[in-house]
Amino acid sequence: MDKGVAFTGNLEFLNLGELLQIIGNNAGTGILRITSKYAQEPGLIYIDAGDPVDAASGKLKGLEALFSLFGWIEGEFLFTTGAVNKKNVINKNRMEIILDGSRLVDDGKIKKLGPVSFQRDKKAVSGKEKAVPILKGPFVDYMYVVDEEEYFDGDEIVKEGGYGNWMWVILEGMVEISKETPKGPLRLLRVSDGAYVGSVSSFLTEDSVRNATAKAVGRVQLGMLDSQRLSGEYATMSAELKGVVISLDKRLKQVTDSVVNIYLKEKKIEEVIKGKKTVIEQGSNEERLFSIARGQASVARKTDSGYVPLVDLAQGDFFGHVPFIKMGHEPHSACVFASKDLKVASLNPENIQKEYAGLSAAFKNIIEHLATSVSVTTMIACEFQKKAK
Amino acid sequence: MAIVNLKKREIECKIVYYGPGRCGKTTNLEYIFKAYKKQITGEMVSINTDGDRTLFFDFLPMELGKLKGCDVRVHLYTVPGQVQYTSTRKLVLRGVDGVVFIADSLEVRREKNMLSLKDLHQNLKEYSLSILKIPLVMQYNKRDLAKEGIPLMPIEQMDKELNRQLKVPAFPASAVTGEGVGKTLQACLKLTIQSLKKELNWGD
Repeated sequence: MDKGVAFTGNLEFLNLGELLQIIGNNAGTGILRITSKYAQEPGLIYIDAGDPVDAASGKLKGLEALFSLFGWIEGEFLFTTGAVNKKNVINKNRMEIILDGSRLVDDGKIKKLGPVSFQRDKKAVSGKEKAVPILKGPFVDYMYVVDEEEYFDGDEIVKEGGYGNWMWVILEGMVEISKETPKGPLRLLRVSDGAYVGSVSSFLTEDSVRNATAKAVGRVQLGMLDSQRLSGEYATMSAELKGVVISLDKRLKQVTDSVVNIYLKEKKIEEVIKGKKTVIEQGSNEERLFSIARGQASVARKTDSGYVPLVDLAQGDFFGHVPFIKMGHEPHSACVFASKDLKVASLNPENIQKEYAGLSAAFKNIIEHLATSVSVTTMIACEFQKKAK
Repeated sequence: MAIVNLKKREIECKIVYYGPGRCGKTTNLEYIFKAYKKQITGEMVSINTDGDRTLFFDFLPMELGKLKGCDVRVHLYTVPGQVQYTSTRKLVLRGVDGVVFIADSLEVRREKNMLSLKDLHQNLKEYSLSILKIPLVMQYNKRDLAKEGIPLMPIEQMDKELNRQLKVPAFPASAVTGEGVGKTLQACLKLTIQSLKKELNWGD
């Protein structure tokens, strides 16, 4: 550790409220620096004898900055001890700051910094406002951007059913993702800065078919990704990790199709689970990871409005617990049904996780965005089902 | 889990007042704050949460004496019961050493009490704590309202419905007048210290 660094760690383990209590209890003096990949600059909190005296976060200063930092739920912290030459502009009891900060987060008055946010859609018909989820990604690594493109409001970036091998990262602006249905286009979600447009399969196979339509909302600046570099990296991965990535991409496609099916009321859960038995219960602590060698499996989420069919898995697909992927499916948030002839091979999640940790930041971001997309689209599917009932 | 602060030679422990909304958690703490003024080192922090208030202050109970040469400092909290306050609840319940469950004696609050107790059980479970093992004391509050002709549940009924499996010390109280408030706190402190000694293997 560097000189002066007293302690450092992950915000998911110790959140800001807990950190301030620990530093407070030890009457620490120094600077608490917190970083999030969703913020360009780190947040700084100046602490004198255990009490926060000033803070800075982007353009914000003082108490306002300090409160905004309670919304940083993912990230790292680092506390360096040393004299702090700051005037006390906060002047508030430490415990009051901590309790008030968490309350403001709970009341939705402090924005949580993370990959998903919601936007109220004012244009929605029937007077009911519909919240459209907006997905964001971490800050863009320009190393992987080979070219920039500009699109204007309403421009089609990719068309469902069309062919194409490009994948983009959004440098600035908003893109709407929709699916074609017999009842007209169905808007799913919006993606914004740092999110990706296009699927990973586009640089793995030639001439892949686009699964959804992406349209610019306002002016959009896109960065074309260096597909050669990314496919080069993909080529070096083990067969197991490749399988997980491909299968995850397939999940996104299928979950998206499920939303359309639920919207059109076409797929029935009874047909999906007919003749199948439960192999993973929702909410179980299953820690193993499997690859399907033979047979079929289906993933569904149990909700108050019944089971929501999500994806159908076949040979080569994985299911179970992938430690580095938060896709909102099994084992915590969905169950898995399998056909009677199911044969599986066990995968070693630890080895795959190790390999994943060694990937480039750009590739990790793509996988993470893919998983977040699966989880948000799953949420949309569940909401559609709730409305259909 | 209590924190042993070697710098200050203090053992810090956390006692949380839990219970349905408007059951009198806040009134309990406000009474303690007034009545034990001399043993309270800081100010009272009060946060307005939707429909309820969250309180916090520090308390140095003299009568507990020293534990292995360390003073015992107690952090007292109330916790916002409403569903949406998950981060606040998490912050308050993390590392809790003792719990006081305040039940509302009003007949109309019968179900609210049960739901809140169930909720406490669930929340503790999330921190791998068991409601059966954690130092817990119960209080049947608002007994004074009987005089005003408001229908209350008999103590026996509350004991049967809330405390049959737990079998923890339970006290009738009236937080507004302060009756039973001190007793409840003392009982919880006693249990908490006993459990701390056991946990730290310090014996009696």
